[in-house]
Amino acid sequence: MSDKEKLFQERFKRYTVALECGKPDKVPVVFPLGEWVVKYTDATLQEVYYNVDKSNEIIARTIRDLDFDVMFGGLNLWWPPMFDGIGCKLYKFPGIYFEENAGFQYVEEEYMKAEDYDEFIANPTQWLATKYLPRICEEFAEPGSYRAIVALIKGAAAFAMHNDKLAKAGEKWAKEYGIVSAITGMTKAPFDTLGDALRGTKGILLDLRRRPDKVLAACEAIVPHNIAYGMITAAGDTSLPCFAPLHKGAYPFLSLEHWEKYYWPTLKAVIEGLWALGKRTFFFAEGDWTPYLEKIAELPDKSIVFCIDLTDAQKAKKILEGRFCLYGGVPTTLLTYGTPEEVKDCVKRAIDELGSDGGFVLAAGGVVMGDAKRENILAMIEAAREYGVY
Amino acid sequence: MADNKIKSFIPEAGTCVPWKIKKEEFGKLAGNEEIVKNSWEMLDALAYAFIWFWVQR
Repeated sequence: MSDKEKLFQERFKRYTVALECGKPDKVPVVFPLGEWVVKYTDATLQEVYYNVDKSNEIIARTIRDLDFDVMFGGLNLWWPPMFDGIGCKLYKFPGIYFEENAGFQYVEEEYMKAEDYDEFIANPTQWLATKYLPRICEEFAEPGSYRAIVALIKGAAAFAMHNDKLAKAGEKWAKEYGIVSAITGMTKAPFDTLGDALRGTKGILLDLRRRPDKVLAACEAIVPHNIAYGMITAAGDTSLPCFAPLHKGAYPFLSLEHWEKYYWPTLKAVIEGLWALGKRTFFFAEGDWTPYLEKIAELPDKSIVFCIDLTDAQKAKKILEGRFCLYGGVPTTLLTYGTPEEVKDCVKRAIDELGSDGGFVLAAGGVVMGDAKRENILAMIEAAREYGVY
Repeated sequence: MADNKIKSFIPEAGTCVPWKIKKEEFGKLAGNEEIVKNSWEMLDALAYAFIWFWVQR
């Protein structure tokens, strides 16, 4: 076993012991990849978005001399050629629509109409393939046409190619730099699947008043798919948690009554379904989830990693500690607007308050954005090593 | 398929065209069924992930 392979095993153990609420030798520390990295290179965002190999080279140069355990995020969430190939309307990327250093934008619409609920609920996968894809992809406007067939070939090929490149990069970083991935696979709350990409924010909020039974039925229909999607995208791995970016469940987007009735039951069902298969959920609680902590505590012990963004950390500790691993401690805003000294103080405080008994992973509380400062990120991981020894 | 063997079905989660449906369409397989099944299911899962990818943003 090479030194790097030993280092990987050491870091993997450190991370997974914390996920199990145990006390490892040190507090595991997470390096947050994000668009912020690009501004410290001579590359443009467009190049990084489009050229996966170049993006991976930049990541390798960025991380190879740093001491951290786990890596989270990426320089880009999406590979634009895949979207270009099918004429996908969901996103606009730098290069075609924006100048080459602009970030991507999501174009939210009611891609699923209110009258589509019954057909979607009856057979979700078929509805997505035959109705949704032609609506979101200009090249599929005439299903069965030359353009549509060619576009489908391109889209599927791009999907497989991009996934393969990401998988190989992960293997390389593990082998050559001893770095552990924070997650494997992805899932969502069914309410977010429905509200983000199908009905849209306006659509689903109106539905809560006009057709609440349809919302419930659709969310219930999505549950088994979000369990299956999590396991398929994780390639069956159960050693690392499944990423679940949670959107419309953050307080106070929904009233407590709506949250308890429409958001929580099916998210809980997805988490419990994954847990029954041995897969822990990376409960990426962007925003504030403080009012819901007692409900979250109903989940099976250790079935989630709870990520603290704007949630009250002390209350999270009081209610969840010992039952679920806590993750976070450093606000993303501090990484942008703070100083290295302030970041170091924050890390020390987070470790003292949240990590003294184990079951804690030191990380940024959310997605680190393009305006974060490198000196603050470096201060975060250096301070974690300085203060994070048990 | 040329004999209109395609059946109407609702695929369970994680599948697009489940093996049990395809197996009926194939009829009796002359060789090792497991090899055919495993490959079918691997590609079916990829297709499933591709279809659901667009709403799991």
